[in-house]
Amino acid sequence: MSESIVQYYPRSRTRAIKAFLGQFLGHGGARLGLLCLVFFVAVAAVPTFLVGPLQTAINATGDFLMPPSGEHLLGTDEVGRDVLNLVVHGARISLVIALLATVISLVVGTTIGMTAGYYGGRVDVWLMRLTDFFFVMPSFVLALVITPVVLEVMGRGGEILGFRPSLFVIIVVIGMTSWAFVARIVRSQTLSLKERTFIDRARVVGSSNSSIMVRHILPNLVPQIAANGALVVAGAIYVETSLSFLGLGDPLQPSWGTLLSLAQRAGAASAGAWWYLAAPGVCVLSVSLSFVLIGNALDDTFNPRRRVIP
Amino acid sequence: MPDTADILRLESLQVHFPIQRGLFDRVLGRPAGAVRAVDGIDLNIGRGEIVALVGESGSGKTTVGRVITKLAQPTGGRLLFEGRNMTAERGSSALRPYRHRVQMIFQDAYQALNPRHTVFDIVAEPLRSLRLVDNVTQLAERVSKALAAAGLNPAGDFFSRFPHELSGGQRQRVVIAGALAVKPELIIADEPVSMLDVSIRAQILQVLVDLRDKHNMALLFITHDLPLAWLIADRIAVLYLGKLVEIGSADEITFNPRHPYTVALRNATPQIGGNAGRAVLPALQGEVPSAARVPKGCRFHPRCPLTFDRCKKEEPPPIEVGPQHLSACWLAK
Amino acid sequence: MTNSSQDKAPLLDVNCLSVDYGLKGVSLRAIDRVSFALQAGEAVGLVGESGSGKTTTAMAIAGLLSPNARVSSGEVRYRGSRLPIDDDAAMRPHRWCETSVVFQGAMNALNPVHRIIKQIAEPCMLKLGMSRGEATARARELLGLVGIPTDRGSAYPHELSGGMRQRVMIAMALACRPSIVIGDEPTTALDVITQAQILKLLGELRSRLSLALILITHDLSVVAECCDRVMIMYAGRIVEDGTVAEIFAQPKHPYTRLLIESIPNPASGKKMIRPIPGDPPNLVNRPSGCAFHPRCPSAMGVCGTEVPSLDQFGRGRVACHLHRSSRGDKVAVHA
Ligand SMILES: Nc1ncnc2c1ncn2[C@@H]1O[C@H](COP(=O)(O)OP(=O)(O)OP(=O)(O)O)[C@@H](O)[C@H]1O
Ligand SMILES: Nc1ncnc2c1ncn2[C@@H]1O[C@H](COP(=O)(O)OP(=O)(O)O)[C@@H](O)[C@H]1O
Ligand code: SF4
Ligand code: SF4
Ligand SMILES: [Mg+2]
Ligand SMILES: [Mg+2]
Repeated sequence: MSESIVQYYPRSRTRAIKAFLGQFLGHGGARLGLLCLVFFVAVAAVPTFLVGPLQTAINATGDFLMPPSGEHLLGTDEVGRDVLNLVVHGARISLVIALLATVISLVVGTTIGMTAGYYGGRVDVWLMRLTDFFFVMPSFVLALVITPVVLEVMGRGGEILGFRPSLFVIIVVIGMTSWAFVARIVRSQTLSLKERTFIDRARVVGSSNSSIMVRHILPNLVPQIAANGALVVAGAIYVETSLSFLGLGDPLQPSWGTLLSLAQRAGAASAGAWWYLAAPGVCVLSVSLSFVLIGNALDDTFNPRRRVIP
Repeated sequence: MPDTADILRLESLQVHFPIQRGLFDRVLGRPAGAVRAVDGIDLNIGRGEIVALVGESGSGKTTVGRVITKLAQPTGGRLLFEGRNMTAERGSSALRPYRHRVQMIFQDAYQALNPRHTVFDIVAEPLRSLRLVDNVTQLAERVSKALAAAGLNPAGDFFSRFPHELSGGQRQRVVIAGALAVKPELIIADEPVSMLDVSIRAQILQVLVDLRDKHNMALLFITHDLPLAWLIADRIAVLYLGKLVEIGSADEITFNPRHPYTVALRNATPQIGGNAGRAVLPALQGEVPSAARVPKGCRFHPRCPLTFDRCKKEEPPPIEVGPQHLSACWLAK
Repeated sequence: MTNSSQDKAPLLDVNCLSVDYGLKGVSLRAIDRVSFALQAGEAVGLVGESGSGKTTTAMAIAGLLSPNARVSSGEVRYRGSRLPIDDDAAMRPHRWCETSVVFQGAMNALNPVHRIIKQIAEPCMLKLGMSRGEATARARELLGLVGIPTDRGSAYPHELSGGMRQRVMIAMALACRPSIVIGDEPTTALDVITQAQILKLLGELRSRLSLALILITHDLSVVAECCDRVMIMYAGRIVEDGTVAEIFAQPKHPYTRLLIESIPNPASGKKMIRPIPGDPPNLVNRPSGCAFHPRCPSAMGVCGTEVPSLDQFGRGRVACHLHRSSRGDKVAVHA
């Protein structure tokens, strides 16, 4: 490789970050995804300011199943609530669920994948069996198992870590069913990383296993974790939607998934109330698509083979 | 003159890697074979001595280095450091005192450096993990000293650089600086210059020789280049298929080789002085046999131009052919 | 023509060739006004450290420059006619059939899932329009030529050692009977004994098939073994060109001299390590004047300001202010 070109590579961390951003934002997909995401995050941040307090059957402002009009931009639902109002409030719940579930999934997945890959042998075999178990476990089944337990312990009205029990269950269930995917990717990456000479060198200079994992392997996993993290978020939004759709959501804090399920139950499709289904549906699609776009762009940016300078 | 008390001794060191048997072999009950990467080596390194380990690729040089640095576990024989048996020692905390005194320089410097660590982090790593410093000032001081000793001046300029921002020669110096930072008494250098350009090679060699001269550090220099071994080493050990076939002083091995394999190695080395004094024997044919199927008798006999009956049946022991000069060949006498 | 002492028309004539690589807005001159001639059947060594432009020169001649490369001056003539080296499609009939390349590290580039005989037969079918049967026969013949037992043809690449794979690569390069073979560090990844075998093979093939050979390496002693002529490159320029015997006996350029001295030579009996001081040049910020001046022990005032031209000197050529030709006939300098 050339030394002279290498001189052109930015010297400091800040410039490295700038270069990274430059390359990342060079992707049309990444820009579109970010733009879309920023919009939804902004909406989720101040729903009351945008559309007033969350409407219920009591303070509903419109007639039943009204098509979009000047007053109700996205029409109304079967009890006269403004769909725009519901969708905007749903954004917050959906995003919070997806992000928290992703954090759980990344932490668990990375820890297990890295430990299995690094230690190998029996540790690897058992951890991978566990991973495979969760990998094939449908989130719906897990939710059905956990929900009654949590409700039994907490009661419907209680709060766990500031979340209502049904929300908490959904977050945990999504986290628990998506980490296996992360663990597999992290493990295979760790397997190849640990054969690298710099790990041998770290051993020779006296580093312990834990410090090798934290200081040498983890930083080199960041690209994979980041790129797949975005995909996990996208997946989490879908899973949240389907769980809510199956009636496992919280009717008092409607997420997009809950809305879809309500619309379905109200017979929106047969009644021709397309706005009721389309509004939350389009939101789910665009947010998960944005995360997929961002994930792909991250993957592309981090992938050394696609970089001009290795 | 180097002090000759041995710092390291290998006694019939053996490293066999098991071969994974296929299902077919297991059903037929065929015995599991082994790759005999290192097959009984006796070698000692004196304090402040430079010993070169020379051999073709696949002869087991790296494996010897990995055993000494405790990256591979021998399946037989002993590893003695200052007379203490280190063969069974394991675990990063138990090995800490040993690591403090034995360090390694890797063949491919680029691979040996974590691309996400700065030069400072890389050189500081051994000092931190071996707990050799108490505070950051001391750390910075020792890192600067190590970088300067490896010829990276001014050291401060390199602190915040990443490996990809260094030239090949500079990277190898960073690896050397990391090894030097702990002030080891023995360094295993695995082909430290083979990835480098000729023009930088000599600079790195100079750094290594200076370390011996100034700090009486011992060096096991692994290479496949005989003239290079002659240039830097006091003694040369020639390895073939996991066994030492000849060992002696650098001059003896270079100018008076007594094993046909050493002669072949010398003949194969391209030289600018032309072919004077070479071609005593025909060039070697064929390739190194796999270490999974070591030939019976003298392991060199299928390729040896001088082979005769006895070679196929009996393995020659090391035979003394001069002062401190051993050759494992029936014709050496 | 640049080499006036040669009276035969050269097989290959490289004239004032410069290649730039475009890189995020900056452009980097990888080779600068390289001129040389290659006679039929001649073996020339191209020596220089990493990044000195050896591979770029070879790729330019074979018309295999990467997409971000631009030929900014000069031309390459083959048997007197100009080669369209910057046009990939137009070079296709020429490449492999007239000039072929054994790439740097190529032995790892064999397709792992195909038998080697198939991989050798492929170019014969594509380039020479042979039928499968003819191509397989030719591939057998080629295997024999490079010293691989024909029955090993059904092996997969991973079943072969590094030396054998390199032989396969050479067989593929010879498939279409080229008259020039460029070897880009063909032995760098091999150990001495295998290297000696491959070099011997190249030498034999050369005389048997009257090939012209351009051998790229950073190891001067390899060139000493198997070339007639050697060209030394530094920072994208040829700094010295002469016969092997002359260059090793009497190097003229200080860089060549230091390179030769830095090779350990037991025959000299002197155990001395002589490093070349300083660091390799940076092509983006190329030193002014003679690119070697920051490291040159004989540097003079003029060296920092004036680029020495590659002038005829004795029977060879040298680019150094210490050796200015009395006739002063300079190589044409392109704008
Ligand atoms: N595709 C490319 N893009 C940009 N710069 C390049 C490219 N290929 C080569 N270069 C640069 O051109 C210069 C000459 O490169 P070249 O590969 O010819 O060197 P070399 O002498 O063959 O070195 P080595 O011994 O490492 O192969 C170097 O500075 C190199 O970094
Ligand atoms: N982990 C391993 N598993 C199986 N075989 C190995 C392993 N490491 C090395 N070997 C084999 O041991 C022999 C010696 O290898 P090595 O010490 O790397 O040689 P060198 O350094 O001389 O190139 C080779 O045949 C190699 O394939
Ligand atoms: S013992 Fe026999 S086969 Fe072995 S090296 Fe000596 S002569 Fe050759
Ligand atoms: S031109 Fe000057 S600096 Fe360049 S090699 Fe000659 S003497 Fe040295
Ligand atoms: Mg090795
Ligand atoms: Mg090259």
